[in-house]
Amino acid sequence: MLTIIYGDVEESIYNTSVYFKNTYEPEWLESKLAKRMIKDVDDSDVLSGECINSPVLGQIPPERLSGGVKTLLLILNEPDKVFNASTCGDNCAKWILEIGSRIDVTINLRHMMGFGKDTEFEVTIKNGGEIAHSMKELLPIASKYLNAMKQE
Amino acid sequence: MKGKHRVIIETRKVKYDFWIKRNITILTGDSGSGKTVLIDFIREYRRYGSDSGVSVICDCDCRTLDNEDWERRLQEIEGSIIFIDEGNRFLYSKRFAELVRKSDNYFVIATREKLPMLPYSVNEIYGFRKSGKFHEAKQTYNEIYHLYGEISVQEGVAPRLVITEDSNSGYEFFTGLSSQRNITCISANGKSNIMNVLRRNETVRGTRLIIVDGAAFGSEMKEVSEYLAVRSDAVLYAPESFEWILLSANVIPDVNVSAVLSHPEAYIDSKEYVSWERFFTKLLMDKTRENSVWGYSKKKLPQAYLSPKVLSAVRKFMKLIVWDE
Repeated sequence: MLTIIYGDVEESIYNTSVYFKNTYEPEWLESKLAKRMIKDVDDSDVLSGECINSPVLGQIPPERLSGGVKTLLLILNEPDKVFNASTCGDNCAKWILEIGSRIDVTINLRHMMGFGKDTEFEVTIKNGGEIAHSMKELLPIASKYLNAMKQE
Repeated sequence: MKGKHRVIIETRKVKYDFWIKRNITILTGDSGSGKTVLIDFIREYRRYGSDSGVSVICDCDCRTLDNEDWERRLQEIEGSIIFIDEGNRFLYSKRFAELVRKSDNYFVIATREKLPMLPYSVNEIYGFRKSGKFHEAKQTYNEIYHLYGEISVQEGVAPRLVITEDSNSGYEFFTGLSSQRNITCISANGKSNIMNVLRRNETVRGTRLIIVDGAAFGSEMKEVSEYLAVRSDAVLYAPESFEWILLSANVIPDVNVSAVLSHPEAYIDSKEYVSWERFFTKLLMDKTRENSVWGYSKKKLPQAYLSPKVLSAVRKFMKLIVWDE
């Protein structure tokens, strides 16, 4: 089940790229789901847990994957933590839903991620306990909490 | 800083080539499109120069900024394009917004979060994509593209309700324009209320037209565009500003600023104007100051601007909006 917290969250890991660089395990890249996500989002192939073949950059280490893929791998492999998923583009949204359909995860969103105008899903919004099944339902709820974010 | 600056960043494998022409440019969009790679290249070039294997060509300095000592560093930089990647919390701070507002630098910010304290334009929100330009070449060429246009539709649209971001002169004008065709016009009283007003008016039969100052509406754009994607009965029209429309319609006697309108970036200093909307307001006020009939005020619209001649010129200028059914 996918749970979203919109806005500022104290326990959320904000800079997912730095966190990934210092914590990832090579095994994370070897699961089928990880390989599919990396292929789809970064158009890259996993050669091993420490080496990815990018069509643009050649052979790269995992820390040079896109910010979005690194966050997806964190959400998948550390489900007890809350990550800032605003480092993910809309092309990662279907993978966030996929991960949420497999395990219970909570993500932090600080922007209006588009899950697809015709996509059906079930997400819980932790801020107020609402449940949304489509972008149409999610939009007003997300908007309310995002607009309550304070600038300090 | 003024003007339009071409930035070419290149390694043996990747090339970026784009123009920056306003104080704030936002890079956003899909993951894996190369935003962080671009900023990493600039950082490496700044540290190691040509030893980095990166080539940076621009008529002003390209720099990067991150969390470490950002405030002091920012205060010391002038006349540069400053690239900032996501993951830096200071981007959302009031202090950062204050420093950007009076800065002599241009900023290129990679983020998906909205920065409501910075009035950035819908026209300066870009995504990256691979260009087909060098399809067979070993080097990948990344080009930037506009994520949003001035209007969210391709074909003519006849509104039944007009919602303006503005609550003063712009609202008065569009109320005048709408009332001629029995269309209701309401004000949202600011950009952050647009979504609330849209939702409160979902039962309107027909198209709701939202008119905003595009020059400062960037922070709301993602949210509104997601709304437009699921609601086919709402259309966004985001010209630079209301004053820009009046100047562009070229209908005010003795006011011809076509040279400025064709290259505003050559006239607008980032240190003086945080957004182009403010520049166009001042330009219109200055150009009409001595004229007792046309003297423009943002607070209260002079009657002359509601004359049939002006209304007709603006109607023609707003090409895709069909006011006469």
